[in-house]
Amino acid sequence: MTDQTLSIRRNKRGMIFSMFFVLLLFSLLINVMIGSIDIPFPELYRIVLDRSTESIHGFIIWKIRIPRAIAAFLGGAYLAIAGLLLQVFFRNPIVGPFILGISSGATLMVSIVMLTTLSMGFLSLAPFLTTVAAFVGAYGAMLIVLAIAMRVKSGVTLLIVGLMIGYLCHAITSLLIAFAEQEKVKGFVLWQLGSFSGFKWSEIQVLFFFGGLILIVVYGLCKPLNAFLLGEEYAATMGVNIRLFRILILLCSCALAGMVTAVAGPVAFIGLAIPHMVRLFFATSDNRVLVPGAVLLGGTVTSLCDFVAHQLFSPVEIPISAITAFFGAPIVISLLLKRKVSI
Amino acid sequence: MTRESLKNVMDISNLSVGYKKNPVLQSLYLHFRQGQFISLLGPNGAGKTTLLRTLARLLSPLKGTILIEETDIHDFLQSELAKILSVVLTDRISPGLFSVFEFVSLGRYPHTGFLGKLKEADKRSISGSLSQVHAETLINRQVSTLSDGERQKVVIARAITQDPSLILLDEPTLHLDLKHRMEVMSILQRLCREKRITVVASLHDVDIASKVSDRVVLLKEGRIVGWGAPEEVLKEEIVSSLYDFKGAIFNQRLGSIEIRGNGHKGFVFVVGGMGSGAVLYRLLTKRGFSISTGVIHENDLDCYVAKSIGAECVTEAPMEKIGPENLSKAMRLVQEADFVIDTGFPVGKLNQGNLRLLKDALHLGKRVFTIRKDEEAGRFFNADAGDLFECKSEINLLERVEDYLTTNKI
Repeated sequence: MTDQTLSIRRNKRGMIFSMFFVLLLFSLLINVMIGSIDIPFPELYRIVLDRSTESIHGFIIWKIRIPRAIAAFLGGAYLAIAGLLLQVFFRNPIVGPFILGISSGATLMVSIVMLTTLSMGFLSLAPFLTTVAAFVGAYGAMLIVLAIAMRVKSGVTLLIVGLMIGYLCHAITSLLIAFAEQEKVKGFVLWQLGSFSGFKWSEIQVLFFFGGLILIVVYGLCKPLNAFLLGEEYAATMGVNIRLFRILILLCSCALAGMVTAVAGPVAFIGLAIPHMVRLFFATSDNRVLVPGAVLLGGTVTSLCDFVAHQLFSPVEIPISAITAFFGAPIVISLLLKRKVSI
Repeated sequence: MTRESLKNVMDISNLSVGYKKNPVLQSLYLHFRQGQFISLLGPNGAGKTTLLRTLARLLSPLKGTILIEETDIHDFLQSELAKILSVVLTDRISPGLFSVFEFVSLGRYPHTGFLGKLKEADKRSISGSLSQVHAETLINRQVSTLSDGERQKVVIARAITQDPSLILLDEPTLHLDLKHRMEVMSILQRLCREKRITVVASLHDVDIASKVSDRVVLLKEGRIVGWGAPEEVLKEEIVSSLYDFKGAIFNQRLGSIEIRGNGHKGFVFVVGGMGSGAVLYRLLTKRGFSISTGVIHENDLDCYVAKSIGAECVTEAPMEKIGPENLSKAMRLVQEADFVIDTGFPVGKLNQGNLRLLKDALHLGKRVFTIRKDEEAGRFFNADAGDLFECKSEINLLERVEDYLTTNKI
């Protein structure tokens, strides 16, 4: 990409932002309107204004489709931000939000709940239990990573430690799979591929408020994040408090990724691919642009993928991770090849 | 401003630097003044980088103190220190998709607000820094498309726009071509002179360091082996022992390193003077001739070059007429030589003797090669001029000499 096209692209930032915004509204709308029962726009308009859940359509809109659409949007946005933070932190483009073992921790705990008979006593809590287990697993892994991050200085060491934690968890999980019943394994595998279905409003609220709070913190970290692009040593000599910054970055990204994993399972690819897409769309590495961009694009793409997931082979629902990777990977590859720029 | 009124920007006392418990350098005492250019010199592994990293507070000292403007470096907040000190490191920077302007603007970090929004003053500082490094035209380029030289200038602009009183640079001319190497050094020198910034740079090039530095620090085997003005410190023996030179010598007056000849090809006597021989000496050494030369005055450029390359010199005191004693000394060397070269030196009252020397050489039947113009040669040598081998240039002379040697099997 030549310098000129880059600066043209740079001057059209406002336009790209509004384009993404329109796309987002569109994807939310089709997610709410189209499904096993199609609800035309006038009726949707009326139901949304009435806030009535008494009719069947009202129930579908308010109890099923709107929560799911919002969850997909928030989940995608948070994963994209988590990925962006870690890519800058590790100065490594192939890092995603799950690189530090967040998803493996969650998967391990969920596998214990789903594949063993340990949860027999709490059978009545079953659907809720999965979320709790994932939450405990994700944040347990995060605490271990943070504790290690306090002690080791090198980013690469931390990265490898994260990977090793992942392998350890994975080893235990595969043991459990080997001894588990066929039926249970299928359910577990499907959970592992993530889904935004079956969200409750209470979960959305938690996701929205805590996640929103973290996003505000992340936006405040944009300036040191930019300095960090030159490497830790330059950042330090520019006045970044490296210790504090490291902990904040890890805390924010792990909290966001853990939150999404707990409620929707480890949704793959979004956190890895969206930061690249945003960088190339906006033709910059300036995180003050990338953070809002990643929120918007991450939410939009996830929401579109979720639509495809429940529509493509309807009534059978495909796991969202299959869709995100299937469409996302070729897009990222082609963007990178066409532009010939390094990340 | 008198020198005495300048304050010390950095005071280093009893400093030991290194990693873990292995000190790389020990008991350092140094002080840097405002606007000084300080070079750190020493062989690879002497600890230049370790010292710089310690001075930038990227590494904790093992012992001792570093005072910046009379405050201990460890008492500064990171953001306060960033306003006083900036660095240029050797790691290749790959910031991704940044224009030069955006990249340099990162240097404003300690001066901007919470989100790093640039004010007018910041923008002025950024374009000012870019013009300091002659890179105004690069402002809209992408950092990833810059050449090594351009990139280094931009990296230095970032350090300048941080508005420090002290810039630390680790090998700022590494990987640069000659043009950019000179440009970077003159940029740094101007920073000292005009903006009164103290520049501390580790350099591998003694030649350049001796010419731009106000102070040099020579590091070897874990300690300082020399510290002071390059004119005082960079003596031939010290530099040679610093780098363990063999077959080369640093000449303090020339401020350059000359390679010594090994003289396997033949023995030549060069009649030179007034700087006319310098190029020929180097050329002949390079081709492997063993050189003796005379009679040259002791303050002559030729004399310094000849001594550096290890030639045998017959010298006369400055501003004296060449005396008979020296002439006969030179004549003995001419007799031993395989052939003689006349560099075409300008002839004046003081060096008439050298013309005599050449005539005597011709009468002895020695081959004399000259670069002197036809008409001038005729005037000086009269009837003998026909015996001269006239050459167009130094290179041409060398070719004819080598032809002559192969046909005559000397």
